Order: sequence, then C-alpha cells, then structure tokens
Amino acid sequence: MLKLNKDSVLGTFVIITGFCLVCSVLVSSAVVALDPFKAAAVANDRQVSILRVAGVETQGTVAQTYAAHIEAQLLDTTTGKIAADRQSEADGYNFASNASNPDLSVAIPAEEDIAGIRRHSTLMPIYFAKDADGNVTRVILPFYGAALWSTAYGYVAVGMDGNTIEAVTFYQHGETPGLGGEIDNPRWQALWVGKKIENADGELAFTIKKNAAHEGEQAAYEVDALSGATLTTNGIRHAAQYWLGTVYKPFLDQLRKGEFLK
Amino acid sequence: MSSDVKSPTWKEAFIEPIIANNPVMIQVLGICSTLAVTGSMKTAFVMGLSVTAVTALSNAAVSYTRNYIPGSVRIIAQMTIIASLVILVDQILRAFAYDLSKQLSVYVGLIITNCIVMGRTEGFALKYPPLPSFMDGLGNGLGYMIVLCIIATFREIFGSGTWFGLTILPTVNNGGWYVPCGLLVMPPCGFFLVGLLIWAVKTYRKELIEPAEYDTHREDY
Repeated sequence: MLKLNKDSVLGTFVIITGFCLVCSVLVSSAVVALDPFKAAAVANDRQVSILRVAGVETQGTVAQTYAAHIEAQLLDTTTGKIAADRQSEADGYNFASNASNPDLSVAIPAEEDIAGIRRHSTLMPIYFAKDADGNVTRVILPFYGAALWSTAYGYVAVGMDGNTIEAVTFYQHGETPGLGGEIDNPRWQALWVGKKIENADGELAFTIKKNAAHEGEQAAYEVDALSGATLTTNGIRHAAQYWLGTVYKPFLDQLRKGEFLK
Repeated sequence: MSSDVKSPTWKEAFIEPIIANNPVMIQVLGICSTLAVTGSMKTAFVMGLSVTAVTALSNAAVSYTRNYIPGSVRIIAQMTIIASLVILVDQILRAFAYDLSKQLSVYVGLIITNCIVMGRTEGFALKYPPLPSFMDGLGNGLGYMIVLCIIATFREIFGSGTWFGLTILPTVNNGGWYVPCGLLVMPPCGFFLVGLLIWAVKTYRKELIEPAEYDTHREDY
C-alpha cells in the first residue's frame, strides 16, 4: 500500500474524509436505531400528562389506561367543529411544529396575541376523557404561551358544562426551578380546580393574579399568582386566557349549550 | 512511529484530576454548565455522567488515532469525534431518560463546547497511549461530577428543600416550615459556591495555590 504522508495536503484530505465518514455513519445509525425508543418515550410522556388531568385512575400500564379512557379528536379552530374525517391523525398531532408552517396554521392578529405565540395550528388535537361506562367526563385541551424564559406547554381539562376547569398540568417549560418552575407544583395546580372560565354574562373572567379573591363573587374566577414568579405567572395567565377565551371559545360555547354530547 | 513522552500510569492519570488537578476547581474549566445544571441533583448527576462518558471515550478515540491525525487540522478532527459522541449521548438520553433530557435541554448538546473535553483531548490524549488517556478522561469527568454534585447538594437542599427529589426540608409552598432561599436556585449562585469551594480546597491544600505573578510589597513598583 502506498505510504501516505499524513501531513501532506492529500493526506489531510483523505484522513479527514475518513474521520467524517466513520463519525457520520456512527451518528446516523444511532439516530435511526434509537428512533422507536424516542417515539415511545415522547408518546408515553404525553399520555402520562393527559391522564394526569383526565381524572381517571391508571390501571395496568399507562398505555392500556390511555387506550381505554382517552379518545383523541382534531378540532378545526376556525369553525369550532370536530374534523371527524381526520380522527386517525389526532393522537399526538404535532400542533407545535405546524405553527411555523403557513399552510397549516393561522396568524394571530397582534392585538389578540396576548400569549405571544404569533401563529397557531389550524387543527388542534383535543382529548375526551371517558369514565368506566364510556361517558365523556372532561375535555382536555392543549394550550401554550410565552412565559418568562420559555414557551410553556400544558393541558387544561374542562368539565362538560364547558365552563369549569377540572385540572391543569404543564408538560414542557424552561422556567427557573423553585420560582417559575413552581407551576409544576401540584398544590398550585390544585388552585385551578373548579374555577369558571366565563362569568354569567359570557365574558372571559378567569384570571391569575396577586391577592386573588378567596370569597365572594370573584373567588370563582381567580387563581393566586405564584410569589417570586410574576412574569411566569403573567405568561401562563395570558396563555390560558387566550386559548380558553379565543381559540377554544366556539367549541366551548357548543359545550355550554349542551350541543356537544357524545 | 510513536514518539510518546514518558506516559503517566493509568492510576496516576485517573487519580490526579479528581482533586489535585480538578478541572473545575483548579483548572477552572466547564464553568458554564456547572452554573446551569446544578439547580438539582438529578440533572447534575446525569450531566456529570454524560460528561464523564464523553471525556473518557473521546480521549480514548483521539489517543487511538493520534498518530494519524494531521497536525494542521487536529482540532477539527478532535471536534468531529467529540461532537459525534455528544450526539450519541444526547440520543440515548432522549430515548431512555426523556424527562431528564427535557430538563437538561441544550446543555447536553453544549458538552461539545465544554472546555474540559477539548482540553483533555488536546492536552493529554494527543500525547499519550489509549489506556492512560481513557483513565484521564474518566478522572476528569469524575472530578467534574464531584464538584457538580457538591454544588447541587447545597443548591437543591437550601433552594428547593429536596435532595434527588426527596424532601429534606419541607417548604412553605408544600405546607412545611422552610422558606427556600430563592437566590440559590438562580445560576449566579452556582458561581458563588464554586468560588467558596475553590477557596476551601486551596486553604486546605496550600500547595495548590499558584505563586503570585507580582509582589505587592516590592519597593520599586
């Protein structure tokens, strides 16, 4: 074999090409080989979050419980109707990446964009939680918005009256642990339970604020803000108000009128 | 072919970086991630393991190929190896520790730029045979991990009242009595703790103090 001088121009090119080939084969085969595990981890994470707000007990594995109690549907946010013909795509529908694709998303007018997200997917996956007899008990709606450091993603479960928050959880955010990260604290999330979204006049009344009312009329709409995390809480409030008050309003209005009984 | 200088034994290569030449405390490398991931023990521990795996394997790989790497592009060749290993670690975390990989977010990818990894391949693995290089990488990774865990222990217990997620001091938010120190969960606090740690180690082991570069008591200044 020809003796190659490693420091010659040719030698440098040959050796570096070899390095790159070996490394890229290694990396790409690892990515491909681990793909099923990654997809399973993502799906499991989503199912755990949804079951947390669904109010059903996990029996057997997460996947079994999920299959038995959760039904996914796609909601067309422009009409407020379920896109039943596309139900097969609904579970785990990637609404977050759609937001950057103009064909699959709608622009939010600047004055309405309190959540700071600019665009959102036209179709949103929503999840119906069913009890043991198959009756729908809650509707689980994904929502997200710009918090302090990051976009926070969560699920809110709304009761069948279309106006009562039954549970909330956040499955992805990058807020400071111990301060804004306290949005993950179950004790804080428990404060949301039972709050009403709209008041009797049909106006958005749900809010998160300092010194929230604990008695009287307003107590039904107000959640205490997290101390030391004003900016995170503002972001979460805006996200919840935007999604529940604007995007999901047509759908929730149908629920409120009882038009949507499955 | 090999023109190795006398190599340290694998034991020396392993033991030295743990305390005497600790990458964070003595060489003051890898500070960025030391501040960023030490808010909780879990992230600090996994980050420490990931960096250990990357430094050890990249040192071994660079050392195996050290006689073939052209001198003019040796940094690029080392980066290629390091970057590949970091992507591997990131992918493995995503597949098998999804929750932690979400918390560590970009910092796993940033191991590529962690000066400890590059510093060891360039400073050690290019000169010495694979076994001592591997052990040197392992030692540096463990030295980094120990510092991370010490800092994370302080920050998590006094900042969040937990250790590895287990409640140590029940916080007010959870109905206990402890008001957590908010400063401790912020990255700058990691800086203070690294400083205190360096101070403590150098007070205890005076031989680690570098000689001053000038003498403030000299008359002719």
